Amino acid sequence: MKRALFQAEMIRSELEEIVGPAFISVEESDKLVYSTDWSWMPQMWLDRGRPLRTPDYIVHPASAEEISEIMEIANKYRIPVVPWGGGSGTQGGALPIFGGILVDTKRLDKIIEIDEKSLTVTAQAGIIGTQLEWALNEKGLTLPHYPASANCATLGGYLAPRGTGTISTKYGKAEDLVLSMEVVLPTGEIIHTPPVPQHASGPDFFRLFLGAEGTFGIITEATMQVDYLPEARLLRAVLFDDLHNALEAGRLMMTRRLDPFVIRLYDPASTLTRVRKILGYDFDGAYMVLGFDGDPDIAALQEQKAMEICARLGARDLGREPGEAWWAHRYDFYYPPQNLKLPWMYGTTETVTTYDRIEAVYYAEKKAVEEGFADWNVRFIGHFSHWFHWGVMLYSRFIIEEPPADAREALRLHNRVWNAAMQAVMANGGMINEHHGVGLKLARYMRRQYGSAWPFLLRLKRMIDPNGIMNPGKVGFGF
Amino acid sequence: MPLENVILTTENCRYCLMCRHVCPVGHVTRRESLTPHGWALMIASVGRGLLAWDEETVQALYSCSDCGTCRAHCVTDQPLPEAIAAARADVAARDLAPAVVYETHRALKEWGNPYEQQSPAPVEGQGEVALFVGDEARYLWPDALEAALKLLKAVGVEPVLIGVGRNNGYLASSLGFPSTARDLAGETLSELEATGATRLLVLGPGDFFTFSQLYDERLGIEWPSGVVLEEVVTFLAERLREGALAFRKAADGTPCAYVDPTHSVRVTTRYDAPRALLEAVLPAPARELFWRRERAHPCGNVALQFTEPHIARHLTYSRLADAAGVGARLVVTEDAGSLSHLARHAERFGLRVQGLYELLADHLA
Ligand SMILES: Cc1cc2nc3c(=O)[nH]c(=O)nc-3n(C[C@H](O)[C@H](O)[C@H](O)COP(=O)(O)OP(=O)(O)OC[C@H]3O[C@@H](n4cnc5c(N)ncnc54)[C@H](O)[C@@H]3O)c2cc1C
Ligand code: SF4
Ligand code: SF4
Repeated sequence: MKRALFQAEMIRSELEEIVGPAFISVEESDKLVYSTDWSWMPQMWLDRGRPLRTPDYIVHPASAEEISEIMEIANKYRIPVVPWGGGSGTQGGALPIFGGILVDTKRLDKIIEIDEKSLTVTAQAGIIGTQLEWALNEKGLTLPHYPASANCATLGGYLAPRGTGTISTKYGKAEDLVLSMEVVLPTGEIIHTPPVPQHASGPDFFRLFLGAEGTFGIITEATMQVDYLPEARLLRAVLFDDLHNALEAGRLMMTRRLDPFVIRLYDPASTLTRVRKILGYDFDGAYMVLGFDGDPDIAALQEQKAMEICARLGARDLGREPGEAWWAHRYDFYYPPQNLKLPWMYGTTETVTTYDRIEAVYYAEKKAVEEGFADWNVRFIGHFSHWFHWGVMLYSRFIIEEPPADAREALRLHNRVWNAAMQAVMANGGMINEHHGVGLKLARYMRRQYGSAWPFLLRLKRMIDPNGIMNPGKVGFGF
Repeated sequence: MPLENVILTTENCRYCLMCRHVCPVGHVTRRESLTPHGWALMIASVGRGLLAWDEETVQALYSCSDCGTCRAHCVTDQPLPEAIAAARADVAARDLAPAVVYETHRALKEWGNPYEQQSPAPVEGQGEVALFVGDEARYLWPDALEAALKLLKAVGVEPVLIGVGRNNGYLASSLGFPSTARDLAGETLSELEATGATRLLVLGPGDFFTFSQLYDERLGIEWPSGVVLEEVVTFLAERLREGALAFRKAADGTPCAYVDPTHSVRVTTRYDAPRALLEAVLPAPARELFWRRERAHPCGNVALQFTEPHIARHLTYSRLADAAGVGARLVVTEDAGSLSHLARHAERFGLRVQGLYELLADHLA
């Protein structure tokens, strides 16, 4: 037996002792399925019949203690540990690009406590979003984080890349809903963050794990703030002739604190293509869905004030139906064959910035993509769907329907489009990402994005993960 | 299903994660490869030469429970279970399927069922209404049939029995033998024709799905246009609503949960009927499982019981654990196969199993 093979068998046996024989796999079909997440790059690679780097071992631990023991083995043999929740990430964050141990967290799926007085839920991090939501709904509650990936993403996967959902405008991003967490550090220690996040008892270190995308450890449990299911959900749609006035309307609603749970503003290109295709509406302009929820009287008044703003800015009231239909079918956009799918090339270059810069970012990115890749008949579409008091997220996308057939050429073109988009975004004050995370895809922009703070982040990483085992190559760490 | 449709479906599903949360096999195994997108990616990857059908991949292919939950949740109605069955047919035709698949197939061919070495009983008589018995109600839980007949008699219906001891064709289709499934279907349909019936009653959603959908989609067999298909529970619930059927309340107040039987997700109009019937006899409302109605998981009585019995067992455990988790001590359902699988392991979860038809028949007013 070759030495490497012998060592591989030793590691396998040690891992098996921890999780049990039913919860470790080295089978080829498993390895292939775990070699790609939901990002375009690996999917395209497999689509063109090319194999990817696979994990060496896939394990399904059932507790933080088991994960801690797995970390010990990884440190001993200096092999990577890659956390995997639902594998629905779009940035290649869960790709085992250097092999190693892939830790699927989905056996950590227990709901530990639903506190109906403080309105919190404590659950293990591998629970699938929709399952958690169903359990809360049985008690008239909801976790107000509604990403389109709720059916496939895990609670840990909501938090690790700092996800955003459909109703985050009112209720906050996943990171705003978390009170405390249990985390297994790369060194194997199991730590608990303080029970509540708002206090003045020292630095807010627990935020380090939000956005670390598994490079600082594995989140194994979280306590989240929940809400009562709203008594009323009012939806309505309006149509603006141009994006400028529509963005201004959204800004006014937010800065006047009208508290919409959703403002979904599609740019004219998206309105013409995606909205027409999925919802069947033939609108010419910028289609905006507005939603207000909670107490019916308050929601109605908020909606009335919002409609006054829209009317002043020249919007046409489309009534309730196109708002309610959007709400009912908001996830239909993601079902094949009507979603964006291979062999097309596409990327969601979403970003966030302040209101004074958002139009500049939008037009700069649009120009960079459309003019830079006109030869490829690229399409650029976008919507604005998460609004803050100070700015808004742009969910921009590029689509090339006939990319190169050769996998390497396709990947190069894909990276060039991303590069053009990200350079335009950063040059105009936008962030490289708002909610999908950095993963592998955006790792190369982290140095520029963070500037003088980047060496500090690198030092932190070295301190937390001295052997560099945790999810190497992601978030800009580990190369 | 023609090969182009298999390819189209698996190409659609291979990177779609939108129904993974409801897949029962994914739920009990936690393996990404044993989920809708996992199977689709596996089949698509064989097509691309990234994987080959070998012992390991074929075993994985035969680990899908063919329960239909993925399709029931699919906004664009992708026939993934049908595509998986078609991929199995390809594998089986190439002699690559596990030995147990061929053994089960042989039994189906010879005896029409995988449980007993007995041929189906001949049909006797003619009438307006026929009832398909099948193999599970004949061999696994015969009390359900007897009780259902008593209930039907109470509302003046005495059906002619057909398919007594014969599988409806689902199992052969699920294992990858469409031509055997077609033969079994043909025999059932000839019997039906011979009775002259214009209404066929079935004992559970598995038969309903097979006759109303599988025959057409997987086997290319049209359902006879003059015959109305109906589940016994739906038929009885309607009689109850009209006042033609009445029950005494049961004295036993043991906390009870209703288990939607295997394949329920494929017949979305059926959920209220068994609940209405149960409400008529129970002294207190039945408890609802977490995995219920449109998200109900199968109870284990699928082809997996032969190909991957440990996964089938875990499906059964999962239903029982769900019932125990909501505080039930008694579980009730009507489908013979579901009942027999639940009963095998109920004790381990501190539960007792009761057939719905038997419970109702014992409490006829
Ligand atoms: C159809 C679809 C729609 C989507 N819509 C949205 C949306 O509306 N909003 C949104 O924010 N995102 C969306 N996404 C992107 C993605 O689903 C989210 O980022 C999601 O939260 C990822 O969760 P996951 O459990 O699948 O994580 P994975 O993809 O498994 O992992 C993502 C990253 O987090 C790390 N990680 C996973 N679990 C843990 C853990 N327990 N501890 C530490 N690190 C961990 C992984 O290593 C990886 O780096 C969508 C994706 C899909 C497929
Ligand atoms: S059946 Fe539908 S929801 Fe499920 S994987 Fe296929 S396309 Fe997606
Ligand atoms: S048929 Fe059932 S087991 Fe098979 S993929 Fe669909 S949901 Fe999963």
